[in-house]
Amino acid sequence: MSKMRRYEVTAAGDFASVLAVLTDHLGLRLLSLDEGQRSWLDTPAGTLERAETTLEFRRPSGDGTPTLTWAAEGRVLVHDPCVSSTPPVQSSELPDSPAFARLATLVDGGELVAGPTVNSQIAVLACLDDEEKTTARIIFDRSETIDGITLPMLLEVLPLRGYEDEASALEKKLKRSVALSASVTPMRELAQQGASEGRGAGSGEDGAALVPTMSAASAWRAVFQDLSDAITKSFSGVLSGNDPEDLHAFRVAVRRIRTILQDGDDVVDPESRDRFRHEYRWLGDVTTPTRDADVHLIEFPELAATLPPSRREELVPFKGILERHRADCHAAMTVELRSMRRAEFGTAWLSFLADDDAWTGCGDLADEPVLRIVLRRVEKANRQLVKNGRKISKKSPAIALHELRKEGKRLRYLLECFSPLFNEKALATILRPLRDVQDDLGEFQDTEVQANALLELAGELEGADDHSALMAIGGVIEQLGVRGAEARASFSKTFGQFDNRKVQRAFDQLEPRKKKR
Amino acid sequence: MKVLATYNIKGGVGKTATAVNLAHVAAAHGNRVLVWDLDPQGAATFYFRVKPKVKGGGKAIVRGSLELGDAIKATDFDNLDLVPADFSYRHLDLWLDDAKKPLVRIRRALRQVSEEYDYVFLDCPPSISLTSESVFRAADALLVPTIPTTLSLRTYEQLDRFVEENPDMVRELKILGFFSMVDRHKRLHRRFMNDLRAAHPELLEATIPNSTDIERMGVHREPVGAYGKGSKPARAYEALWSEIQTRL
Ligand SMILES: Nc1ncnc2c1ncn2[C@@H]1O[C@H](COP(=O)(O)OP(=O)(O)O)[C@@H](O)[C@H]1O
Ligand SMILES: [Mg+2]
Repeated sequence: MSKMRRYEVTAAGDFASVLAVLTDHLGLRLLSLDEGQRSWLDTPAGTLERAETTLEFRRPSGDGTPTLTWAAEGRVLVHDPCVSSTPPVQSSELPDSPAFARLATLVDGGELVAGPTVNSQIAVLACLDDEEKTTARIIFDRSETIDGITLPMLLEVLPLRGYEDEASALEKKLKRSVALSASVTPMRELAQQGASEGRGAGSGEDGAALVPTMSAASAWRAVFQDLSDAITKSFSGVLSGNDPEDLHAFRVAVRRIRTILQDGDDVVDPESRDRFRHEYRWLGDVTTPTRDADVHLIEFPELAATLPPSRREELVPFKGILERHRADCHAAMTVELRSMRRAEFGTAWLSFLADDDAWTGCGDLADEPVLRIVLRRVEKANRQLVKNGRKISKKSPAIALHELRKEGKRLRYLLECFSPLFNEKALATILRPLRDVQDDLGEFQDTEVQANALLELAGELEGADDHSALMAIGGVIEQLGVRGAEARASFSKTFGQFDNRKVQRAFDQLEPRKKKR
Repeated sequence: MKVLATYNIKGGVGKTATAVNLAHVAAAHGNRVLVWDLDPQGAATFYFRVKPKVKGGGKAIVRGSLELGDAIKATDFDNLDLVPADFSYRHLDLWLDDAKKPLVRIRRALRQVSEEYDYVFLDCPPSISLTSESVFRAADALLVPTIPTTLSLRTYEQLDRFVEENPDMVRELKILGFFSMVDRHKRLHRRFMNDLRAAHPELLEATIPNSTDIERMGVHREPVGAYGKGSKPARAYEALWSEIQTRL
């Protein structure tokens, strides 16, 4: 029996623009486009869900007749107008037809209750062969709960029996044209979750659910989309400056976009790649002083605690300086973030992500399966990290470790951004020691940066002629030096946890095991 | 699962139109329906826009070496599937007389999908002859479209003889004759229908009119109910289907 395949549409753009891609670009025929309210019905015991079928009551907007649709795995078993304008509450109220008689038997004459209710736009499209025969049906569904929570757009591909090959070919084309990620969650469940949790836009830490077979271009695009969502989500928080976590999340997303752009040669359109790498670098740079100032303040209590209790009081005036400094940095940053430059580049970036033409034939490797390309780039990043990491000795200059930290970041972000593609076990084997290496290198560099910054800010205290405070800062800076030295001393051991056979072998096992179907 | 075979030794009487349109009506009522196009000419297959080919050969299904399920194609209509015509059926009529009884085998092949369908329509080529008992073994009912002209009498004479000679078999097989391509304006048609009804009171009440809407199936490549919903011929097939159901 032909299996329905379901995808979450991760592409930028609204319902209409994605629909236009399906009809104009992929040549699918629009069979129907319905707008209105729909509810899922089931027995209180969930009999229909357990039988893997759905019963939908649809009330079209305007004055169309309500309908009742019973379907299994996207296959319509029966679709009939409903005489009453409210959903049936008893199986005896079902329309009179052989199929509904089967349904009545299934629910055993019992009661029907309405589950989640959503407002939807649903397009049904057909993929036709050269005889104009339908080979697959595509259901494109955009819904929001009645409380206005937008649910992810879903696209379901239903191969018609006997046309499985044609449907697979269509899916390949679809994945190349629209950013999709495989999903098992039907709209009914999304609606249920949405109704109970008020699920927000954008996804968690690890972002887009990617599939190994999708084209490199659509995978890159999906990752960018997800990272852009993270940026959008944190942006207002960055501007308000109330929670340093927003700026941190913002910067991580920017940094990840830069990494993925950097490793997007032959996948991403070269001109756009250059332009946006440049702009994202700028965006990262304008936020750095504020982040540093945040870190001073976040770490301050902890650092102060390393001083003897009698001296901590002396730091109070310095804390005031840090706070003023942070406010200055934040003010300067907001000017940049509200600049024309940022606005223009932000808009350009979003339209770049939404523009299908920018993602077709955009590079020699754009159509290759993403897994192959990513693995190649991971391997390269790893080779470089291992090579340069081995060169680090006690005598290496600080700059060599800072450079190594960047290489580590590149590898880490590649692995994290494309994490759904990899074998989970192998990925965990690599990421654990890699994150330790990065923590070490981060501690080394950050303590140095922080010590220098504090030293500079301490200059402002001099005018105040406050020697005791200056002495206390000296103690804090010293403490930072100790931490940096410790990080540096532990580097070779930490790096050894990464540069060893077990972890390095895991790189060969990143490709997921073939699942038996 | 009930198996209904269109039957008439004459070609061009509306066998295929009957199978295709009744199958469409039955499916629209929520029944799970399969049409098996046994005519190598593949008219039913054409009306459903399917390519007339069975991977591995249609004969292989009849022979039992290919699962029927693997040959099934979904049509564009919910609950309505098709086993396409295949060129290898062109000697089906010859096999009928050999000991292997292909239509018995057809019944056997259908057993594999008996849980999946409520009704199966066998669209038979005109060359299938009534003398073969295997037709009767394969089907629960014969749908016999009859054009109201004297030329159609032969089929009925044959049927009469058969019923006389095989009383046991006929108890299990329903023979459902009805008038097809009826032109009420032709006095000849009306007279013939009256005569035949007098001799055969078991003939169905419902008739299918002669209609250009039905002829246009070849242009639309769809059952008449798909493009002419609620039209006179569409209603005629609806009425025919309800009457057939009361007789099964
Ligand atoms: N009721 C009808 N009115 C007009 N034309 C019809 C009707 N039934 C069938 N036809 C046409 O007559 C031709 C033969 O019909 P068909 O169903 O293929 O007959 P058979 O299967 O018995 O050979 C076809 O072109 C069909 O479109
Ligand atoms: Mg025919």
